Amino acid sequence: MSDNILKRIFQPSGRGKLWWIFVFIIILAIAGFFVDFGSQYNKAVDKYNLKLPHAKEINFRLGLDLQGGSQLIYEADVSAIPAEDRAISVEGARDVIEKRVNFFGVSEPIVQVNHTSDGDYRILVELAGIKDIDEAIKKIGETPLLEFKEQNSEIKQMTDEQRKEMTAYNDKALGLANQALAKVKANQDFNSLIKEYQGKDLGWVDKQSNPNVVSAVKDWKAGQVSSSLSNFGDGHSLYKLNNVREKTVDGQPAKEVKASHLLICFEGTTGCESGLSKSEAKDKITKLKQEATPENFAELVKVNSTEPGAKDKYGDLGWFVKGMMVEPFENVVFAQQKGSISDVVETDFGFHIIYKQDEQVIKEYQVGELFFDTKNETDILGPQSEWKNTQLSGKNLKRAVVQFNPNDNSPEIGLEFDEEGSKFFEEVTDRNVGKPVAIFLDGYPISVPNVNEKITGGKAVISGKFTLVEAKTLVKELNSGALPVPIKLISQQTIGASLGQQSVADSMQAGLFGLLLVALFMIIYYRLPGLLAVISLIIYGLIILAVFKLWPITMTLAGAAGFVLSVGIAVDANVLIFERLKEELRSGKTLSKAIDEGFTRAWTSIRDGNFTTIIVCLVLMYFSTSMIKGFAITLFLGVLVSMFTAIIITRNFLKILDERWLEKHKWLLGVYEKKAKQASDHQSEQGENNNL
Amino acid sequence: MYNIIQKKKIWLSISGVLVAISLILFFTWGLKPGIDFTGGSLLEVSYPNEVPTLDEVQGILAGVDVHSLVIQPAGDSGFILRFQEIEEDVHQQVMEKLNSLIPTTEQEMNPADLGLSIEGDAKITATVALGEVEELRFEAIGSSIGSELRNKTGWAIGIVLLAIIIYVAWAFRRVSKPVASWKYGVIAIIALLHDVILTVGVFVVLGKFLGVEVNTTFVAALLTVLGYSVNDTIVVFDRVRENLPKSDLDFEGTVNTSVNQTITRSINTALTTILALLAIVFFGGESIKYFALSLVCGIFFGTYSSIFIASPLLVWWEKLKK
Repeated sequence: MSDNILKRIFQPSGRGKLWWIFVFIIILAIAGFFVDFGSQYNKAVDKYNLKLPHAKEINFRLGLDLQGGSQLIYEADVSAIPAEDRAISVEGARDVIEKRVNFFGVSEPIVQVNHTSDGDYRILVELAGIKDIDEAIKKIGETPLLEFKEQNSEIKQMTDEQRKEMTAYNDKALGLANQALAKVKANQDFNSLIKEYQGKDLGWVDKQSNPNVVSAVKDWKAGQVSSSLSNFGDGHSLYKLNNVREKTVDGQPAKEVKASHLLICFEGTTGCESGLSKSEAKDKITKLKQEATPENFAELVKVNSTEPGAKDKYGDLGWFVKGMMVEPFENVVFAQQKGSISDVVETDFGFHIIYKQDEQVIKEYQVGELFFDTKNETDILGPQSEWKNTQLSGKNLKRAVVQFNPNDNSPEIGLEFDEEGSKFFEEVTDRNVGKPVAIFLDGYPISVPNVNEKITGGKAVISGKFTLVEAKTLVKELNSGALPVPIKLISQQTIGASLGQQSVADSMQAGLFGLLLVALFMIIYYRLPGLLAVISLIIYGLIILAVFKLWPITMTLAGAAGFVLSVGIAVDANVLIFERLKEELRSGKTLSKAIDEGFTRAWTSIRDGNFTTIIVCLVLMYFSTSMIKGFAITLFLGVLVSMFTAIIITRNFLKILDERWLEKHKWLLGVYEKKAKQASDHQSEQGENNNL
Repeated sequence: MYNIIQKKKIWLSISGVLVAISLILFFTWGLKPGIDFTGGSLLEVSYPNEVPTLDEVQGILAGVDVHSLVIQPAGDSGFILRFQEIEEDVHQQVMEKLNSLIPTTEQEMNPADLGLSIEGDAKITATVALGEVEELRFEAIGSSIGSELRNKTGWAIGIVLLAIIIYVAWAFRRVSKPVASWKYGVIAIIALLHDVILTVGVFVVLGKFLGVEVNTTFVAALLTVLGYSVNDTIVVFDRVRENLPKSDLDFEGTVNTSVNQTITRSINTALTTILALLAIVFFGGESIKYFALSLVCGIFFGTYSSIFIASPLLVWWEKLKK
């Protein structure tokens, strides 16, 4: 049956059809080119100001071994959890890990649950390009913590004795301070006062390092001293401003800048929800840049900026100094003219244009200080919080479920406690009728329901204005807190970014060099068909790389090796066909007949051979780790596409050439005219030797 | 026309001896399993300026409680360390020790930069490390993952072999005379085992003398060799399948003709693929070097066996019947 289909496909009715296929192949190659080299093409268009539309830029998805990063595999210990709850509690743990991971600011973190064939649950975390893996591991490893808290009604009061002590201490401090103030006013030497009252020469300070001090002395003249006591909540201070100067860093005046910015983020940047691709975002911001003036900047930001809060703050960043903004942003904003709007700047957050409102040199003040410590309630009693813990905690929660309010059908969350928890819960609700109780997860309040009555029986309902999605998320979180799944790090692979880049560069070079050798060999050995095969292999490359990008396949080193091997297989298909073609020509067939024969005869070998490779790929994909999977997938796709290029493209190119012309120049096919007419084995072997 | 089949005794003996040697080496020396299989940690680091000696590294790590520590120099400026523990804090301890080998310098510093305030213009000297050890790669694999991998490898190879026999028997179902179609499948498998065993043999020797370890990628390479070897054998068998009905020679003659007709193709294909792979072996990144090398071995043996093992075996089996 396959032969029939092949015949229909491969024996078109005339040359017209050949040209149709040819056009199709060219379109495919061009499409492939734009997918593969979109960004290079765009750069070329920009550079020479060509009036051509931009191509959509698609990047390869690089694996950890290529861009550096970490892969962590955790095993979830589910032994303490009933079988039916295992999957959901591991999912809950996964969500918690994902949330924690999102704080690290790596692009596209992967957090997956794998259920192994042995019944183990594994959580796989991939963090591409992460710097501080040690910190990340610590953060991830924390078990989610669920707490129930009640209002801190009994805020601690100071005893009379404590109050007396505090007043005495503060009075003494004030007395000393006033004494010192009098001496200062009497123009006594400040340095000797510093010694007398254990004061301190603060040295050079600026707004960043000592905001309070600077706020007190910023309008003074050099040499001026305090005329009254300053108090910033923790004690009384007296200052002497010794000197003022402009701050320098490495000999350059240090400046602070006031600026606002407009941000257009794109998929893959930190915290982005714009849904724009990189090239769309680029187009948008380029257009905005052309429109922007200092007058309309705030309005443009309000309407367009994707930064959260841009509507209220108009993207205003206030005053800032070096080191407070990400590097590319900072480089631009400190270099640009005051009052100007910058070109487009790319950072990890997306594309920015920046309006520099003002700039000034940072002033430094040389200050001496006399300080007299005072105490307040917090110093004596310690920090007091609005909420305080109850005995009830996540380990008492049996489970949480989403349920619906029987009256209005709104989603609610049902909580069920264990025996001990039921008792605690009864006590807690008894104490707090009419008051709120807070549920904290990982230290943050996730829900603060009001208690309507004392609740017995260990069941509770959190009703609130939940959407169904929110309720489901909350239940997952609660269950992960309630069913703590201890996780254990069982595997870690970290590839430093430099090693990744080095091996990419080396391997790319090696791969290209190898392909060049293959191309040379093909052309020298097989002449014209070899050349055509090389062209069809280039088209093969364009197509397969486009497939890798669009699929998208995560490219790893093993994947690259799979690609190289698939090129080998693509060459093999061509070699099989050409050898057969030569053979058919030598046996005296006409060129057209020989081409058809060569292709149909070689097809069975190509098919059977490639099929076994495909079987191996399928097994590898099913069984193996992500690294081998990458290899198997690229090889699998490579084999499929290579069959297509060998059978359709090379054949089309060969047939489209002028037959009569080729008949006259058979040496181009590697077969010599005289010998071609004789069909004996002996002669053809000599023909073979001549070709070598 | 080369008389390949007629000299089958020579080829089969050569291969027999090589396979025997490989098997003996495999069972006596064995492969050097990487941490993928055994579990454990591998840490590759690079020093910025002055590289400490192996003895210095060994000395400084004597204080850390790690088991079966092996340290090897890697490249010009680095080391590869292997040890049994996979815990993160052990990893951090080792890094700290390695960092302590970096020479320090006395440097004049502005007191204010250190958060100190001293009257006057007094400068102080502080001890500053000249750079930091760069962690190029760290892998820590739990032993449960290792045993899982061993299991999976076994299953994967088993399933691949079975699938190939079935596919070959199906593809050759119309040629059952004079040799039954399933025998083509079995011979393809024998040729394939030959290729895999010899490739493993090469890596036993490499492991013994160069310390080359086998890991997950080696398994992937072996599986690929399985596919490639069968591919190669099938091309020859395909010719036999095509020639049998129209040939006026005996079975041996027909097979010999078929081998001769396909030999150029077999060698050219192997040559081009090996060329591309050798480029990776010599110039490629450290991590896929041996992966590419195992493919080169496998493809070389695969091509050899499709010509000199599979076809002679086919004839031998046919003769055996008589």
